Amino acid sequence: MKDEKLKDRRLVYYKDDFDQIEKLLDEYVKLSNARCVFLIDKEGHLVTQRGISQTFNAATLSALVAGAFAATKEMARLLGETEFSVMFHQGRKDNIHLSLVGDRAINATVFDEKTTVGMVNLYSKELTAKLAKIFEIAAKKITSEPAFETGYGDSVKDRLDDMFKE
Amino acid sequence: MQINYGKREVSCKLVYYGPGMSGKTTNLEVVHQRVPEKSKGDLTSIATEGDRTLFFDFLPIDLGQVRGMTTKFQLYTVPGQIYYASTRKLVLQGADGVIFVADSQAEKIKENIESLTDLQQNLDEYGLKLEEMPFVIQWNKRDLPNALPIEELEKQINTFRAPTVPAVAATGEGVLATLKLAASLVLDRLNTKEPGAATKKAAAPAEKPAEAPPAEKKEAVVAKINADQISRSYFTQYCQVQYRLGARTEEVDDFKKFSMDEKKRLLESLINHGLLLQDAKKRSIVVSKEELEVQLKEFARRFKTKEEMDAHLAHRKLSLDNLRNEATKNVIIGKIIQKVIPNLNEKFRITETEVKEYYFTNSAKYGGKSFDAVKAEVIAGIKNQRKRELLDEMFKALRRESSITIFEENL
Ligand SMILES: Nc1nc2c(ncn2[C@@H]2O[C@H](COP(=O)(O)OP(=O)(O)O)[C@@H](O)[C@H]2O)c(=O)[nH]1
Ligand SMILES: [Mg+2]
Repeated sequence: MKDEKLKDRRLVYYKDDFDQIEKLLDEYVKLSNARCVFLIDKEGHLVTQRGISQTFNAATLSALVAGAFAATKEMARLLGETEFSVMFHQGRKDNIHLSLVGDRAINATVFDEKTTVGMVNLYSKELTAKLAKIFEIAAKKITSEPAFETGYGDSVKDRLDDMFKE
Repeated sequence: MQINYGKREVSCKLVYYGPGMSGKTTNLEVVHQRVPEKSKGDLTSIATEGDRTLFFDFLPIDLGQVRGMTTKFQLYTVPGQIYYASTRKLVLQGADGVIFVADSQAEKIKENIESLTDLQQNLDEYGLKLEEMPFVIQWNKRDLPNALPIEELEKQINTFRAPTVPAVAATGEGVLATLKLAASLVLDRLNTKEPGAATKKAAAPAEKPAEAPPAEKKEAVVAKINADQISRSYFTQYCQVQYRLGARTEEVDDFKKFSMDEKKRLLESLINHGLLLQDAKKRSIVVSKEELEVQLKEFARRFKTKEEMDAHLAHRKLSLDNLRNEATKNVIIGKIIQKVIPNLNEKFRITETEVKEYYFTNSAKYGGKSFDAVKAEVIAGIKNQRKRELLDEMFKALRRESSITIFEENL
């Protein structure tokens, strides 16, 4: 089947792993005193966000963060590194701290003067190590959870048709 | 694509690719205008210089809950200029489908081909092949006087025989059709059940090192009609849709339940369908939106309310696209018949004697009702029979001029 390769490339998050991930992120936000954290996969899809973040457009932020990381990969290559694992952007009030999680995700932390980049750095190291472990174990597990309701794709097509009715 | 069972969310990535200035950003702008407020995010153009995209444009679309899964599409464009190669590559990472926006202008042919080659090379680095991906070509800028004929573009650029859509992105024409087509190719892959019960849990890294790639399995072909190939998966889908369109109520979602005879019969009809479309293309027959509407209204008339029709379609698992395809086929048949048979009305003129004759030979069908009572019905019956005969003749003629190969072993 020609879709085999494509299926392998799907980033799948199952319920139990996902719950564990959110719990870790909640703890992290509390410990680091950050405003919020976004977990983003490398392809630019948001996995989840925790903390207080109502003013952000999460989808766009995710695309930008993934793009920025990929772009710095080129920078790293020039310096003989494979990639940079941490990036930090400082603003007047808000700052954003980005760190790689294993080889598939990025953790983006937004924080203000209530904490310091040192604290965020410290706790995010811990967090990324734990998340990487979850991903690693998850990647080896096999599950028989059914993927989609039959006809899901057709239903989405109908929805698109409705949305773009002339 | 991200499938998140924790949030019950599916997120797909579509990438608009193509040479600089071909109209990729314009496509996204049109989509952005047409998506209802509640479903769209901001259209973000990143680091632009003049009107050239340096990094990428990004538009998220949220379709809401579909069968319990929140469904999202993320649309990206890539910068076309040659010096932004690495940006193009990073945007392509994890793309579920690619839309190639080609510039139809004669002097852009080389740029189009270069961009397409570049696309293939970048995909290759992710271990992907264009011909195996959901891929659509948009022939853009059809409004310009120096636009090449579509046939010429097809020959020079579309060596994959990918589905194509003509467009004038600047006025919005063809933009939504392109997006819907690409989305439906991506979605078709989500219709098929995962093979085997086991799914690999969590994702493998996107860039897998050369870990003994599986032997290239070419998709099985069930038939060839001239230069077109019918893949097995397309055929399967066709069979299912035909069953659902037909009067049968029993569900036939399992292809294995089709008997060999049924498969052969359906393949014959699919070949006829293919011949028809090829012939229509040769004769430059196109179906307008209005013509399609008339057909669809005809179908809708069978139902009292829209809800009733939706329920009927849902029950049969038919999508509006399925209906549209069927309607398009009907319009094309009508148009070809008119072109091929100039004295059509002549053939449809029916004399009183003919009607009587038909009534008496088929009297069983009319259950003893008087001639006058069923006259209209009889005339319709004769017309239908004539139409079938005409179609038969037409298909025979088409087949004589065509090369058709059937691979029964793949049925
Ligand atoms: N005549 C014509 N111009 C178009 C069409 N589509 C886009 N353009 C114009 O082509 C130029 C480049 O379009 P843009 O979307 O920025 O191209 P991109 O580099 O692929 O993102 C703009 O001036 C558009 O207005 C079209 O269908 N017809
Ligand atoms: Mg652009």
